[in-house]
Amino acid sequence: MRGGPVLVFLSGLLLLISGAVSISVMQAADESCERACLNRIVDQYLSALVAHDPSRLPLAKNVRFTEDGVQLQLGDALWATAGGLGTYKLVFAEPEANAIGAYAVVQENGSGALLALRLKVDKRKITEVETLVARKPTTGILNTDNLTEPRPAFLENVPTEERPSREEMVSIVNKYFDGIEQGNGDIVPFDPDCIRIENGIQTCPGSASSPLGALSCGAQLSTKIFTYIQSVNPRRFPVVDRERGLVLAIVRFNHPATQQTVAVPGRGRITMGRYSTWPNSTQIAELFKIKNRKIKEITAAIVTGAYKVPMGWD
Amino acid sequence: MVKFTEDSQRLELGYGFWRTATAKGAYKFYMDDPVVGQVVYFGTMREAGNPVSLVLRLRIEQKKIAEIETIVIRTGMNPSRPADTGAESFEKMGGPDPLFLETIPPAERVSRDELARTANKYFSSMQLNDGKCDYSFFADDCSRIENGQQATEGRNTMASGSGQNNSYTAQKGCRAQFETGLLHFVTRIRDRRFVVLDTEHGVALAFGFFDHAAGNTRTFQTPDGRTVAAGPTQPWTREIAEALKVEKGKIRRIIAIFQRCPYGMNSGWSSWEDSLSDKARW
Repeated sequence: MRGGPVLVFLSGLLLLISGAVSISVMQAADESCERACLNRIVDQYLSALVAHDPSRLPLAKNVRFTEDGVQLQLGDALWATAGGLGTYKLVFAEPEANAIGAYAVVQENGSGALLALRLKVDKRKITEVETLVARKPTTGILNTDNLTEPRPAFLENVPTEERPSREEMVSIVNKYFDGIEQGNGDIVPFDPDCIRIENGIQTCPGSASSPLGALSCGAQLSTKIFTYIQSVNPRRFPVVDRERGLVLAIVRFNHPATQQTVAVPGRGRITMGRYSTWPNSTQIAELFKIKNRKIKEITAAIVTGAYKVPMGWD
Repeated sequence: MVKFTEDSQRLELGYGFWRTATAKGAYKFYMDDPVVGQVVYFGTMREAGNPVSLVLRLRIEQKKIAEIETIVIRTGMNPSRPADTGAESFEKMGGPDPLFLETIPPAERVSRDELARTANKYFSSMQLNDGKCDYSFFADDCSRIENGQQATEGRNTMASGSGQNNSYTAQKGCRAQFETGLLHFVTRIRDRRFVVLDTEHGVALAFGFFDHAAGNTRTFQTPDGRTVAAGPTQPWTREIAEALKVEKGKIRRIIAIFQRCPYGMNSGWSSWEDSLSDKARW
């Protein structure tokens, strides 16, 4: 009996502590956002976009938004013009970094545009919105009719024991950009059957009727036909989805246009593309599928702009 | 260190057009403002042999160049005439309209503020143009050149001058164009920087951005009561340098050089807030 009040006090304290702990655990559970939660946010974003109403989103007070590298008020630009969504939607995530990436086809006054979207989430609220919108006038090539659904490789899970670390996945993708800068496909760990699709159009392997023929992704690089891409800088890797083996790189290709032709072994001197004719840069959101530590597939959204155009996040 | 931009991107001096320019062209038009130590040049050049139009602003401090701002109009960057940089058209003109070079009689000269205010009426009346403002700031003989093309009074070949009721036409004069209310699709004219105010010649030169927000701003009412949908279907912006000749409080001549750029782009010379503001600065 003598210890009664103390025991009551202690058990009350324990109750308080355990209550506080469980509240804290509940809050943490509420505030974390796993893959399904992140995917839902993308769906919310796309629905709000076509409704022209960003207020439907769980936005952080200091949310920051860019379209094609330009910081704007959320609600402006594609938010004002998006008329509907196509069937193409590819969503991926890095829950550990609260980061989401997505590609979607959006109808804009009768024309298809390819949206690349990156979101950052904190406590279930969106803090960063980065978008690139590939439209016909601002890109060399675009065919959204080809983009009806994601290619299966981007949706396949990688067995847990085969997943490389984030660092290793980024390193593999970095070699691709190094290979472009150096005109050397041999330093890039390509899967022999690698396919690259840019703005809805397959660009490697090339078509048999193209000037270089049906070259593989690696062989294309080694021709040095991309010499006009002097540098790939800056490079960011904001979403690495280890479960699916995906790396999203957001980069800028810089084309100073100081050289228009290049000697291709066995083919003589070849004129490089139109991007070699005036100083310009392309902003690119490029998604890589890594399988067996090799680049299996690539899909990209590309927007052409002024030389060394700021991307808004560097 | 001297600051340099090309097409609103900050670069190291020696990069961009510095590495691709191959020759000077024949068209030259200088506008200067010794009060603020600035000079703007409209000219033509060649890039790998291709004609380009150039806008160049220099700010001079103690006889040294402190700021360099350039816009280079290349093929594909002019939405209404993608194959045309305006350079060859400018060169056919031989030089600027002689009126720009005439001095204003001293008794008729206005203050820098008044010159800027009159010129700014042009931008304020174009933004979300509804045809209902007082457009008497246009002189009766006002005419406008855009990227080397006559854009007013029917002496033009611009694609936008189709004469249809729903799109503004270059077949009309400066004032009549504004009275149609069909320029409504210019939803915001922002970051208006008057960098030359030459009261001796009555010339005001401004850099700015014409935003086309598209979306529901494409649908509007004209002064004659029609509901019209017109203008760009995607959001994009025109990066522009515009010289205006003002005499006796009225705008008589306008020369614009412009190109397409990303929607909402910053000039590289303004804060984010100023870049989105439609307030004129000088």
